[in-house]
Amino acid sequence: MGIIVGYYSTKFGELWDKSLFDLVEEAINGVIKQTQIEKKQIDVIFFANMLAGVLENNLHSASKIAEIIGLNIPVFRVEAACASGGVAFHLAENYIANHQNKTALVIGAEKMTDYSPEQVTAALSAAASGEEQEAGLTFPGLYALIAQVYLNKYHYNEENLAYVSFKNHYHGTLNEKAHFQKKLTLEQILKSPYVAYPLKVLDSSPISDGAAALIITNNQQIIKKTKHQVKIIASEVATDTISLKERKFLDRLLATSLAAEKAFKKSKIKKKDIQVAEIHDCFSIAELLAMEDLGFWPKGRAGTKIKELSTMIGKGNNLFVNTSGGLKAAGHPVGATGVKQIGEIYLQLTKQAGKRQVKKAKYGLAHNVGGSGGTAVVTILGG
Amino acid sequence: MISPVKIWRRQKEIKKILGKKGKIISWTIIYVTGKDFKKTAPYPVVLVEFNQKEKAIGQLVDYEKEDLKIGRQVISILRKVREPSAEGVIAYGIKFKPL
Repeated sequence: MGIIVGYYSTKFGELWDKSLFDLVEEAINGVIKQTQIEKKQIDVIFFANMLAGVLENNLHSASKIAEIIGLNIPVFRVEAACASGGVAFHLAENYIANHQNKTALVIGAEKMTDYSPEQVTAALSAAASGEEQEAGLTFPGLYALIAQVYLNKYHYNEENLAYVSFKNHYHGTLNEKAHFQKKLTLEQILKSPYVAYPLKVLDSSPISDGAAALIITNNQQIIKKTKHQVKIIASEVATDTISLKERKFLDRLLATSLAAEKAFKKSKIKKKDIQVAEIHDCFSIAELLAMEDLGFWPKGRAGTKIKELSTMIGKGNNLFVNTSGGLKAAGHPVGATGVKQIGEIYLQLTKQAGKRQVKKAKYGLAHNVGGSGGTAVVTILGG
Repeated sequence: MISPVKIWRRQKEIKKILGKKGKIISWTIIYVTGKDFKKTAPYPVVLVEFNQKEKAIGQLVDYEKEDLKIGRQVISILRKVREPSAEGVIAYGIKFKPL
Protein backbone atom coordinates (compact mmCIF):
# COMPACT_ATOMS: atom_id res chain seq x y z
CA MET A 1 0.00 0.00 0.00
CA GLY A 2 1.09 3.56 -0.62
CA ILE A 3 1.89 6.28 1.85
CA ILE A 4 0.67 9.86 1.45
CA VAL A 5 3.60 12.17 2.09
CA GLY A 6 2.31 15.57 0.99
CA TYR A 7 -0.78 17.63 0.23
CA TYR A 8 -1.50 21.07 -1.12
CA SER A 9 -4.69 22.85 -2.04
CA THR A 10 -5.27 26.21 -3.67
CA LYS A 11 -7.90 28.49 -2.21
CA PHE A 12 -11.35 27.34 -3.41
CA GLY A 13 -13.74 30.01 -4.67
CA GLU A 14 -14.34 32.45 -7.49
CA LEU A 15 -10.76 32.81 -8.70
CA TRP A 16 -11.22 35.08 -11.70
CA ASP A 17 -7.53 35.81 -12.20
CA LYS A 18 -6.64 32.11 -12.52
CA SER A 19 -7.17 29.71 -15.43
CA LEU A 20 -7.60 25.95 -15.03
CA PHE A 21 -3.91 25.37 -15.69
CA ASP A 22 -2.81 28.27 -13.45
CA LEU A 23 -4.57 26.35 -10.67
CA VAL A 24 -2.97 23.07 -11.75
CA GLU A 25 0.46 24.70 -11.76
CA GLU A 26 -0.03 26.24 -8.31
CA ALA A 27 -1.14 22.88 -6.87
CA ILE A 28 1.78 20.95 -8.46
CA ASN A 29 4.38 23.46 -7.26
CA GLY A 30 2.68 23.68 -3.88
CA VAL A 31 2.66 19.97 -3.18
CA ILE A 32 6.25 19.50 -4.39
CA LYS A 33 7.42 22.29 -2.08
CA GLN A 34 5.38 20.92 0.83
CA THR A 35 6.81 17.43 0.38
CA GLN A 36 10.35 18.68 -0.29
CA ILE A 37 10.92 16.29 -3.14
CA GLU A 38 12.23 17.11 -6.57
CA LYS A 39 10.01 17.12 -9.65
CA LYS A 40 12.05 14.38 -11.25
CA GLN A 41 11.25 12.02 -8.38
CA ILE A 42 7.64 11.86 -9.63
CA ASP A 43 7.05 8.79 -11.81
CA VAL A 44 3.41 9.17 -12.85
CA ILE A 45 0.57 11.70 -12.66
CA PHE A 46 -3.18 11.09 -12.36
CA PHE A 47 -5.23 14.19 -13.20
CA ALA A 48 -8.91 14.50 -12.25
CA ASN A 49 -11.07 16.91 -14.22
CA MET A 50 -14.63 16.72 -15.45
CA LEU A 51 -15.64 19.82 -17.39
CA ALA A 52 -12.76 21.32 -19.37
CA GLY A 53 -13.73 19.33 -22.45
CA VAL A 54 -17.38 20.36 -22.27
CA LEU A 55 -17.03 23.97 -21.12
CA GLU A 56 -13.85 25.23 -22.73
CA ASN A 57 -13.11 22.79 -25.56
CA ASN A 58 -9.98 21.89 -23.68
CA LEU A 59 -8.83 18.24 -23.75
CA HIS A 60 -5.53 16.37 -23.89
CA SER A 61 -4.69 17.82 -20.49
CA ALA A 62 -2.01 15.13 -20.01
CA SER A 63 0.23 16.86 -22.48
CA LYS A 64 -0.49 20.30 -21.02
CA ILE A 65 0.57 18.99 -17.60
CA ALA A 66 3.77 17.59 -19.12
CA GLU A 67 4.45 21.11 -20.39
CA ILE A 68 3.83 22.64 -16.96
CA ILE A 69 5.93 20.16 -15.00
CA GLY A 70 8.67 19.78 -17.61
CA LEU A 71 8.75 15.98 -17.46
CA ASN A 72 7.98 13.28 -20.02
CA ILE A 73 6.37 10.84 -17.60
CA PRO A 74 2.96 9.17 -18.10
CA VAL A 75 0.02 11.44 -17.25
CA PHE A 76 -3.53 10.05 -17.12
CA ARG A 77 -6.69 12.14 -17.08
CA VAL A 78 -9.53 10.62 -15.08
CA GLU A 79 -13.21 11.48 -15.38
CA ALA A 80 -16.00 10.14 -13.20
CA ALA A 81 -18.10 13.30 -12.79
CA CYS A 82 -17.86 14.58 -9.19
CA ALA A 83 -16.00 11.39 -8.20
CA SER A 84 -13.14 12.12 -10.63
CA GLY A 85 -10.80 13.03 -7.75
CA GLY A 86 -11.54 9.91 -5.72
CA VAL A 87 -11.18 7.65 -8.75
CA ALA A 88 -7.87 9.33 -9.76
CA PHE A 89 -6.59 8.68 -6.25
CA HIS A 90 -7.76 5.05 -6.45
CA LEU A 91 -5.88 4.53 -9.72
CA ALA A 92 -2.74 6.16 -8.33
CA GLU A 93 -2.91 3.95 -5.26
CA ASN A 94 -3.30 0.87 -7.49
CA TYR A 95 -0.32 1.98 -9.55
CA ILE A 96 1.82 2.32 -6.43
CA ALA A 97 0.61 -0.99 -5.01
CA ASN A 98 1.75 -2.73 -8.20
CA HIS A 99 5.13 -1.03 -8.70
CA GLN A 100 8.15 -0.84 -6.43
CA ASN A 101 9.89 2.38 -5.47
CA LYS A 102 7.47 4.65 -7.28
CA THR A 103 5.93 8.02 -6.55
CA ALA A 104 2.62 9.28 -7.94
CA LEU A 105 1.18 12.76 -8.04
CA VAL A 106 -2.61 12.97 -7.88
CA ILE A 107 -4.08 16.28 -8.86
CA GLY A 108 -7.68 17.37 -9.24
CA ALA A 109 -8.76 20.71 -10.66
CA GLU A 110 -11.82 22.46 -12.04
CA LYS A 111 -12.48 25.92 -13.46
CA MET A 112 -16.20 26.67 -13.28
CA THR A 113 -16.81 30.38 -12.65
CA ASP A 114 -15.89 31.58 -16.15
CA TYR A 115 -19.37 30.47 -17.23
CA SER A 116 -22.98 31.32 -16.37
CA PRO A 117 -24.86 29.07 -13.90
CA GLU A 118 -27.02 27.83 -16.82
CA GLN A 119 -23.94 26.81 -18.82
CA VAL A 120 -22.39 25.05 -15.82
CA THR A 121 -25.70 23.37 -14.90
CA ALA A 122 -26.05 22.09 -18.48
CA ALA A 123 -22.42 20.88 -18.54
CA LEU A 124 -22.81 19.05 -15.22
CA SER A 125 -25.94 17.35 -16.52
CA ALA A 126 -23.69 15.55 -19.01
CA ALA A 127 -23.17 13.15 -16.09
CA ALA A 128 -26.87 12.19 -16.06
CA SER A 129 -28.69 9.79 -18.40
CA GLY A 130 -30.00 11.01 -21.78
CA GLU A 131 -33.58 10.63 -20.61
CA GLU A 132 -32.92 12.67 -17.46
CA GLN A 133 -31.30 15.41 -19.54
CA GLU A 134 -34.27 15.43 -21.90
CA ALA A 135 -36.65 15.85 -18.95
CA GLY A 136 -34.80 19.06 -18.03
CA LEU A 137 -33.45 17.46 -14.86
CA THR A 138 -30.44 19.09 -13.24
CA PHE A 139 -28.18 17.65 -10.54
CA PRO A 140 -30.06 19.48 -7.79
CA GLY A 141 -33.18 18.03 -9.47
CA LEU A 142 -31.93 14.45 -9.26
CA TYR A 143 -31.01 14.83 -5.59
CA ALA A 144 -34.36 16.57 -5.01
CA LEU A 145 -36.13 13.44 -6.29
CA ILE A 146 -34.06 11.35 -3.86
CA ALA A 147 -34.73 13.83 -1.03
CA GLN A 148 -38.50 13.67 -1.62
CA VAL A 149 -38.47 9.88 -1.28
CA TYR A 150 -36.31 10.00 1.85
CA LEU A 151 -38.20 12.82 3.60
CA ASN A 152 -41.54 11.23 2.78
CA LYS A 153 -40.56 7.72 3.83
CA TYR A 154 -39.02 8.66 7.18
CA HIS A 155 -41.27 11.66 7.96
CA TYR A 156 -38.65 14.40 7.94
CA ASN A 157 -38.80 17.88 6.48
CA GLU A 158 -36.54 20.63 5.14
CA GLU A 159 -35.39 21.57 8.63
CA ASN A 160 -33.69 18.18 9.04
CA LEU A 161 -31.74 18.91 5.87
CA ALA A 162 -30.80 22.44 6.97
CA TYR A 163 -28.69 21.15 9.89
CA VAL A 164 -26.16 19.71 7.42
CA SER A 165 -25.46 23.13 5.90
CA PHE A 166 -25.51 24.76 9.34
CA LYS A 167 -22.74 22.44 10.58
CA ASN A 168 -20.64 22.52 7.42
CA HIS A 169 -20.75 26.31 7.17
CA TYR A 170 -19.49 26.52 10.75
CA HIS A 171 -16.60 24.23 9.81
CA GLY A 172 -15.93 26.44 6.78
CA THR A 173 -15.17 29.35 9.12
CA LEU A 174 -12.23 27.29 10.46
CA ASN A 175 -10.73 26.62 7.01
CA GLU A 176 -8.86 29.50 5.39
CA LYS A 177 -8.98 27.73 1.99
CA ALA A 178 -12.78 27.38 2.03
CA HIS A 179 -14.96 29.09 -0.58
CA PHE A 180 -17.32 30.30 2.17
CA GLN A 181 -16.03 31.21 5.61
CA LYS A 182 -19.27 32.45 7.02
CA LYS A 183 -21.62 31.01 9.63
CA LEU A 184 -25.24 30.60 8.63
CA THR A 185 -28.30 30.45 10.85
CA LEU A 186 -30.93 27.76 10.34
CA GLU A 187 -33.36 30.53 9.47
CA GLN A 188 -31.11 31.86 6.68
CA ILE A 189 -30.82 28.36 5.24
CA LEU A 190 -34.56 27.69 5.42
CA LYS A 191 -35.41 31.05 3.84
CA SER A 192 -33.04 30.70 0.88
CA PRO A 193 -34.73 30.27 -2.53
CA TYR A 194 -35.38 26.86 -4.06
CA VAL A 195 -33.04 25.45 -6.69
CA ALA A 196 -35.04 22.25 -7.12
CA TYR A 197 -37.81 21.71 -4.58
CA PRO A 198 -37.26 20.74 -1.72
CA LEU A 199 -33.58 21.68 -2.09
CA LYS A 200 -32.61 25.30 -1.68
CA VAL A 201 -29.57 27.38 -2.59
CA LEU A 202 -28.20 26.82 0.91
CA ASP A 203 -28.71 23.05 0.69
CA SER A 204 -26.43 23.05 -2.35
CA SER A 205 -22.68 23.11 -2.84
CA PRO A 206 -21.50 26.11 -4.87
CA ILE A 207 -19.89 26.44 -8.29
CA SER A 208 -16.20 26.87 -7.45
CA ASP A 209 -12.72 27.05 -8.92
CA GLY A 210 -9.85 25.21 -7.28
CA ALA A 211 -7.17 22.54 -7.39
CA ALA A 212 -5.77 20.06 -4.88
CA ALA A 213 -2.79 17.69 -5.09
CA LEU A 214 -1.40 14.73 -3.14
CA ILE A 215 1.83 12.75 -3.34
CA ILE A 216 1.63 8.97 -2.83
CA THR A 217 4.77 6.88 -2.67
CA ASN A 218 6.35 3.58 -1.70
CA ASN A 219 9.85 4.90 -2.37
CA GLN A 220 11.69 4.24 0.91
CA GLN A 221 14.13 7.11 0.40
CA ILE A 222 11.28 9.60 0.11
CA ILE A 223 9.41 8.01 3.01
CA LYS A 224 12.51 8.34 5.22
CA LYS A 225 12.95 11.99 4.30
CA THR A 226 9.38 13.29 4.72
CA LYS A 227 7.90 14.45 7.98
CA HIS A 228 4.17 13.94 7.66
CA GLN A 229 3.03 10.51 6.52
CA VAL A 230 -0.29 8.71 6.44
CA LYS A 231 -0.92 5.15 5.33
CA ILE A 232 -3.58 4.32 2.76
CA ILE A 233 -5.36 1.30 4.19
CA ALA A 234 -8.23 1.04 1.72
CA SER A 235 -9.42 2.69 -1.47
CA GLU A 236 -12.48 1.10 -3.03
CA VAL A 237 -14.76 2.04 -5.92
CA ALA A 238 -18.28 0.82 -6.70
CA THR A 239 -20.74 1.81 -9.42
CA ASP A 240 -24.49 1.77 -10.01
CA THR A 241 -26.88 2.58 -12.86
CA ILE A 242 -26.59 6.10 -14.25
CA SER A 243 -30.41 6.36 -14.44
CA LEU A 244 -32.24 6.99 -11.22
CA LYS A 245 -35.23 5.07 -12.59
CA GLU A 246 -33.20 1.85 -12.88
CA ARG A 247 -32.09 1.91 -9.22
CA LYS A 248 -33.32 -0.68 -6.79
CA PHE A 249 -33.48 1.87 -3.96
CA LEU A 250 -34.26 5.57 -4.04
CA ASP A 251 -33.66 6.33 -0.37
CA ARG A 252 -30.01 5.24 -0.41
CA LEU A 253 -27.00 5.11 -2.71
CA LEU A 254 -26.10 1.47 -3.25
CA ALA A 255 -22.66 2.34 -4.70
CA THR A 256 -21.74 4.01 -1.40
CA SER A 257 -22.72 0.97 0.70
CA LEU A 258 -20.85 -1.40 -1.62
CA ALA A 259 -17.66 0.69 -1.67
CA ALA A 260 -17.82 1.13 2.12
CA GLU A 261 -18.34 -2.57 2.74
CA LYS A 262 -15.28 -3.44 0.64
CA ALA A 263 -13.17 -0.68 2.20
CA PHE A 264 -13.95 -1.63 5.80
CA LYS A 265 -13.30 -5.29 5.04
CA LYS A 266 -9.94 -4.49 3.49
CA SER A 267 -8.84 -2.06 6.21
CA LYS A 268 -9.78 -4.49 9.00
CA ILE A 269 -11.00 -1.63 11.17
CA LYS A 270 -14.47 -0.94 12.53
CA LYS A 271 -16.75 1.98 11.87
CA LYS A 272 -16.29 3.23 15.40
CA ASP A 273 -12.52 3.48 14.82
CA ILE A 274 -13.08 6.37 12.39
CA GLN A 275 -12.82 9.73 14.15
CA VAL A 276 -12.87 12.04 11.16
CA ALA A 277 -14.66 11.76 7.81
CA GLU A 278 -15.09 13.83 4.69
CA ILE A 279 -18.50 12.96 3.23
CA HIS A 280 -19.80 13.92 -0.22
CA ASP A 281 -22.36 16.61 0.70
CA CYS A 282 -23.03 18.02 -2.79
CA PHE A 283 -26.52 18.60 -1.39
CA SER A 284 -27.62 18.42 2.25
CA ILE A 285 -29.61 15.23 1.59
CA ALA A 286 -26.45 13.54 0.30
CA GLU A 287 -24.70 13.79 3.68
CA LEU A 288 -27.70 12.27 5.48
CA LEU A 289 -27.87 9.36 3.04
CA ALA A 290 -24.10 8.83 3.18
CA MET A 291 -24.02 8.70 7.00
CA GLU A 292 -26.49 5.81 6.75
CA ASP A 293 -25.05 4.15 3.65
CA LEU A 294 -21.52 4.19 5.12
CA GLY A 295 -22.93 2.52 8.23
CA PHE A 296 -22.27 5.30 10.75
CA TRP A 297 -25.98 5.80 11.51
CA PRO A 298 -28.90 3.35 11.23
CA LYS A 299 -31.11 3.52 8.11
CA GLY A 300 -33.74 6.23 8.37
CA ARG A 301 -32.20 7.83 11.47
CA ALA A 302 -29.92 10.47 9.93
CA GLY A 303 -32.66 13.13 9.88
CA THR A 304 -32.90 12.88 13.68
CA LYS A 305 -29.20 12.31 14.35
CA ILE A 306 -28.04 15.37 12.39
CA LYS A 307 -30.10 17.62 14.68
CA GLU A 308 -28.00 16.47 17.65
CA LEU A 309 -24.95 17.98 15.87
CA SER A 310 -22.82 15.14 17.20
CA THR A 311 -20.51 15.36 14.17
CA MET A 312 -19.77 19.08 14.63
CA ILE A 313 -16.50 20.44 16.00
CA GLY A 314 -17.05 21.83 19.50
CA LYS A 315 -20.26 19.81 19.98
CA GLY A 316 -19.50 16.17 19.19
CA ASN A 317 -16.93 13.83 20.63
CA ASN A 318 -16.12 10.74 18.58
CA LEU A 319 -16.79 11.28 14.86
CA PHE A 320 -16.38 14.63 13.15
CA VAL A 321 -17.76 15.02 9.65
CA ASN A 322 -16.70 17.47 6.94
CA THR A 323 -14.23 19.43 9.03
CA SER A 324 -13.07 21.16 5.81
CA GLY A 325 -16.55 22.64 5.47
CA GLY A 326 -17.51 19.84 3.08
CA LEU A 327 -18.51 20.56 -0.49
CA LYS A 328 -21.12 22.95 0.88
CA ALA A 329 -18.79 25.50 2.50
CA ALA A 330 -15.28 24.55 1.30
CA GLY A 331 -16.59 24.65 -2.27
CA HIS A 332 -16.98 22.07 -5.02
CA PRO A 333 -14.54 22.47 -7.90
CA VAL A 334 -15.69 19.10 -9.22
CA GLY A 335 -12.39 17.44 -10.20
CA ALA A 336 -10.59 18.78 -7.13
CA THR A 337 -13.17 17.68 -4.55
CA GLY A 338 -12.22 14.01 -4.14
CA VAL A 339 -8.55 14.92 -3.78
CA LYS A 340 -9.32 17.69 -1.29
CA GLN A 341 -11.39 15.29 0.83
CA ILE A 342 -8.48 12.86 1.15
CA GLY A 343 -6.15 15.82 1.72
CA GLU A 344 -8.30 17.02 4.60
CA ILE A 345 -8.09 13.58 6.25
CA TYR A 346 -4.30 13.65 5.71
CA LEU A 347 -4.11 17.08 7.42
CA GLN A 348 -6.23 15.82 10.33
CA LEU A 349 -4.22 12.62 10.85
CA THR A 350 -0.89 14.49 10.68
CA LYS A 351 -2.13 17.22 13.05
CA GLN A 352 -1.80 19.98 10.46
CA ALA A 353 -5.49 20.97 10.40
CA GLY A 354 -5.02 24.17 12.43
CA LYS A 355 -8.16 25.65 13.96
CA ARG A 356 -10.28 22.69 12.94
CA GLN A 357 -7.90 20.01 14.26
CA VAL A 358 -9.70 17.03 15.73
CA LYS A 359 -8.03 15.53 18.82
CA LYS A 360 -6.52 12.04 18.80
CA ALA A 361 -7.67 11.07 15.32
CA LYS A 362 -6.07 7.79 14.30
CA TYR A 363 -8.24 6.76 11.34
CA GLY A 364 -10.16 8.80 8.79
CA LEU A 365 -12.47 8.15 5.87
CA ALA A 366 -13.20 10.03 2.65
CA HIS A 367 -16.35 9.42 0.60
CA ASN A 368 -16.66 10.78 -2.92
CA VAL A 369 -19.69 10.38 -5.21
CA GLY A 370 -20.11 10.86 -8.96
CA GLY A 371 -23.41 11.89 -10.52
CA SER A 372 -26.54 10.98 -8.60
CA GLY A 373 -24.75 7.95 -7.15
CA GLY A 374 -23.48 6.19 -10.27
CA THR A 375 -19.95 6.07 -8.85
CA ALA A 376 -18.77 6.03 -5.23
CA VAL A 377 -15.27 5.92 -3.80
CA VAL A 378 -14.45 5.18 -0.16
CA THR A 379 -10.92 5.74 1.07
CA ILE A 380 -9.65 4.89 4.55
CA LEU A 381 -6.41 6.30 5.90
CA GLY A 382 -4.44 5.91 9.12
CA GLY A 383 -3.01 3.34 11.47
CA MET B 1 -25.19 18.54 -28.56
CA ILE B 2 -28.46 17.65 -30.24
CA SER B 3 -28.14 16.43 -33.81
CA PRO B 4 -31.13 15.63 -36.07
CA VAL B 5 -29.96 12.03 -36.32
CA LYS B 6 -29.86 11.72 -32.54
CA ILE B 7 -33.43 13.00 -32.32
CA TRP B 8 -34.54 10.53 -35.02
CA ARG B 9 -32.86 7.62 -33.21
CA ARG B 10 -34.42 8.56 -29.89
CA GLN B 11 -37.91 8.93 -31.36
CA LYS B 12 -37.99 5.26 -32.33
CA GLU B 13 -37.81 4.43 -28.62
CA ILE B 14 -40.36 6.97 -27.43
CA LYS B 15 -43.42 5.29 -28.97
CA LYS B 16 -42.84 2.25 -26.75
CA ILE B 17 -43.62 4.27 -23.62
CA LEU B 18 -46.44 6.47 -24.93
CA GLY B 19 -49.94 6.33 -23.43
CA LYS B 20 -48.87 4.36 -20.39
CA LYS B 21 -50.50 4.84 -17.01
CA GLY B 22 -48.67 4.92 -13.73
CA LYS B 23 -48.18 6.79 -10.48
CA ILE B 24 -45.78 9.47 -9.28
CA ILE B 25 -43.15 8.03 -6.95
CA SER B 26 -41.16 11.25 -6.60
CA TRP B 27 -41.34 14.81 -7.91
CA THR B 28 -39.49 18.11 -7.88
CA ILE B 29 -39.82 21.60 -9.32
CA ILE B 30 -36.75 22.81 -11.18
CA TYR B 31 -36.05 26.51 -10.62
CA VAL B 32 -32.41 26.75 -11.77
CA THR B 33 -32.15 25.09 -15.17
CA GLY B 34 -29.60 24.24 -17.81
CA LYS B 35 -29.33 26.67 -20.70
CA ASP B 36 -31.75 24.80 -23.01
CA PHE B 37 -34.56 24.89 -20.46
CA LYS B 38 -34.25 28.42 -19.07
CA LYS B 39 -37.29 29.80 -20.92
CA THR B 40 -39.76 27.35 -19.39
CA ALA B 41 -38.61 27.44 -15.74
CA PRO B 42 -39.85 26.70 -13.19
CA TYR B 43 -41.25 23.33 -14.25
CA PRO B 44 -42.04 20.08 -12.40
CA VAL B 45 -40.29 16.80 -13.16
CA VAL B 46 -41.80 13.52 -11.98
CA LEU B 47 -40.46 10.02 -11.56
CA VAL B 48 -43.25 7.64 -12.51
CA GLU B 49 -43.74 3.93 -11.93
CA PHE B 50 -45.90 2.39 -14.65
CA ASN B 51 -48.39 -0.29 -13.76
CA GLN B 52 -45.98 -2.84 -15.23
CA LYS B 53 -43.38 -1.70 -12.63
CA GLU B 54 -40.93 -0.13 -15.08
CA LYS B 55 -40.16 3.53 -14.43
CA ALA B 56 -39.78 6.69 -16.50
CA ILE B 57 -38.88 10.30 -15.90
CA GLY B 58 -40.36 13.42 -17.49
CA GLN B 59 -41.94 16.82 -16.95
CA LEU B 60 -45.51 17.10 -15.68
CA VAL B 61 -47.81 19.33 -17.76
CA ASP B 62 -51.47 20.43 -17.63
CA TYR B 63 -51.38 20.11 -13.84
CA GLU B 64 -52.75 21.84 -10.78
CA LYS B 65 -50.62 22.36 -7.67
CA GLU B 66 -52.37 19.52 -5.83
CA ASP B 67 -51.39 17.06 -8.57
CA LEU B 68 -47.79 17.28 -7.35
CA LYS B 69 -47.84 14.48 -4.83
CA ILE B 70 -46.49 10.99 -4.45
CA GLY B 71 -49.10 8.43 -5.54
CA ARG B 72 -50.88 10.69 -8.10
CA GLN B 73 -52.02 8.81 -11.23
CA VAL B 74 -50.54 10.09 -14.51
CA ILE B 75 -50.32 9.11 -18.18
CA SER B 76 -47.39 9.51 -20.58
CA ILE B 77 -47.95 11.82 -23.57
CA LEU B 78 -45.92 13.11 -26.52
CA ARG B 79 -44.70 16.70 -26.22
CA LYS B 80 -41.95 18.96 -27.50
CA VAL B 81 -39.10 18.55 -25.00
CA ARG B 82 -36.57 21.15 -26.18
CA GLU B 83 -36.36 24.29 -28.22
CA PRO B 84 -35.62 23.36 -31.86
CA SER B 85 -31.94 22.74 -32.60
CA ALA B 86 -29.94 24.93 -35.02
CA GLU B 87 -30.97 22.56 -37.82
CA GLY B 88 -34.60 23.27 -37.03
CA VAL B 89 -35.54 19.75 -35.96
CA ILE B 90 -38.05 19.71 -33.12
CA ALA B 91 -37.24 17.21 -30.39
CA TYR B 92 -40.31 15.37 -29.13
CA GLY B 93 -40.29 13.20 -26.07
CA ILE B 94 -42.25 11.98 -23.09
CA LYS B 95 -44.06 14.19 -20.65
CA PHE B 96 -46.82 13.29 -18.21
CA LYS B 97 -50.23 14.68 -17.40
CA PRO B 98 -52.49 13.89 -14.45
CA LEU B 99 -55.24 11.34 -15.03
